[in-house]
Amino acid sequence: LSFLIPCPHCGPRNIYEFRFGGEVKSRPDEKTTDPEQWAEYVYFSRNVAGPQKEWWFHTKGCGCWFTLWRDTTTNLPVEAPEGGL
Amino acid sequence: LPRRYAAFSDATSYYFPCKAKFICPRISHETRIPVTSSLQKGWIMISRLVSPFRRKHGKMWHGRTLKERYDIVIVGGGVHGLATAYFLARDHGIKEVAVLERRYIGYGGSGRNTAIARANQRSKENIPLYREGLKMWPWLTRELDFNLMFSPIGNLNLAHSEAEVAALRTMIATAQYMDVPSELLKPEECRKLIPILDISGRPRFPVMGGMYHPPGGTVRHDAVVWALARGADRLGVHIHQGVEVKAIRVEKEKIAGVETDQGNIKTAKILNAAGGYSPTISTMVGLSLPITVLPLQALVSEPLKPVLHHVISSGRYHAYGYQGLKGEIITGAHMDPWPTYTTHTTAGYMKHQAEALIDLMPPLKAARFMRIWGGLTDMTPDMAPIISDSVVGGYYMDCGWGYFGFKSGPVTGKYVAEWMAKEECPPILKPFHLRRFREFDLQKETASTMYYTPWN
Repeated sequence: LSFLIPCPHCGPRNIYEFRFGGEVKSRPDEKTTDPEQWAEYVYFSRNVAGPQKEWWFHTKGCGCWFTLWRDTTTNLPVEAPEGGL
Repeated sequence: LPRRYAAFSDATSYYFPCKAKFICPRISHETRIPVTSSLQKGWIMISRLVSPFRRKHGKMWHGRTLKERYDIVIVGGGVHGLATAYFLARDHGIKEVAVLERRYIGYGGSGRNTAIARANQRSKENIPLYREGLKMWPWLTRELDFNLMFSPIGNLNLAHSEAEVAALRTMIATAQYMDVPSELLKPEECRKLIPILDISGRPRFPVMGGMYHPPGGTVRHDAVVWALARGADRLGVHIHQGVEVKAIRVEKEKIAGVETDQGNIKTAKILNAAGGYSPTISTMVGLSLPITVLPLQALVSEPLKPVLHHVISSGRYHAYGYQGLKGEIITGAHMDPWPTYTTHTTAGYMKHQAEALIDLMPPLKAARFMRIWGGLTDMTPDMAPIISDSVVGGYYMDCGWGYFGFKSGPVTGKYVAEWMAKEECPPILKPFHLRRFREFDLQKETASTMYYTPWN
């Protein structure tokens, strides 16, 4: 059972049309950051079991990046929780 | 060893005899099966009759009550956790070891992988570990007194472009330099190994060469889990199934204990060997990991007569497969592109596997898939594991194995046990420390041709 990802332009489409782009993280300020913080930003992730905000790219569709809240324990898109990110 | 056993022990040892390299090991006249004399047969029959009276067939491992204190707590009852527990008890005399498993042992990746063993990794930091791991299977079979069904049938990796052939050449050079048998084959030679392989120009990606790695093969993954569990249990290790770790207590930057749903344990050392769930465990001590947890699916066809005598894989098709001892074609490939803690399977994946296998080996088009299942892979950005201590004293990690965890389980367990017992990192594990990400010194495994991420 594959599932659908709601693209803001094309509507709900098959998951295999998309490329996962990582968790949404707060990007460190380039002027004040150090390499350690960059490493943290680039490589490390939270791997939440539950709703998480993530980047998706519609490779086989409109070719746009967008963010999405999705529950990693059900794979279904969810409403943004209150106070989340 | 008597002379007639010599050929057999060669076949199961690490180096497959080179003179038989283009002959299929399973049907080759070079491979001799040990001959049992009628006297030996008689003795076996008698001992089978007598054994129920002579030997008590007890449980393989026992349910234990959770103690208040253990020297070492291992989170995760898979190959890595059980192997570490086994070697801690066997080599270092640490018997107060608990293995905590949330479901049952081998529930996760250890029982869901496709049971392939090989040592032809890409980088010189990785090869020594896998090389020793591959050499360990025959030894482990004897050591644990359990038939692990190690079948060194050899791995063949296909290349479908000039660039891939060049990449294979580099890999082969590295492997040979590191004393791992590996060689470049022409398409005709690939076809000699696998007669049903289509080497014509018809397939979407025609075969242009192959990397043959004779000592690789397959191992029965459940048997490895059971054997290690039995071995560890006999040495006094406590294996707790159905125990979920809820929290890890840290006092003064040091591990103080574990809180589980069955009670609290005091301990000074914890190993995170939780595979796909390792980021969750890591969060309990306040550490994030450079891991993305992706699902990986695998399939099994109905049993067929022997047609595929080697593990065949193709990075371009994102597919690999081999024929199991029961005759089924066991196949799997790349991860799916969504991070998850579920093991959903998809029709799209089945279609992809069927297309890839049929394009490479057309006679398989009559075979039907029987089962499909999913598992979790803890992927690191550089396809190399995280075997590390941390800023929290007594907290060790053996995770981030992605889809390489099974073949390296016992050998890693051996070295991680050494590290935890002596508190000094064995040189072979040094390249895998977590600090490599903060120092931007990632491993080079992503240059391998067997690189099945969803997006390459």
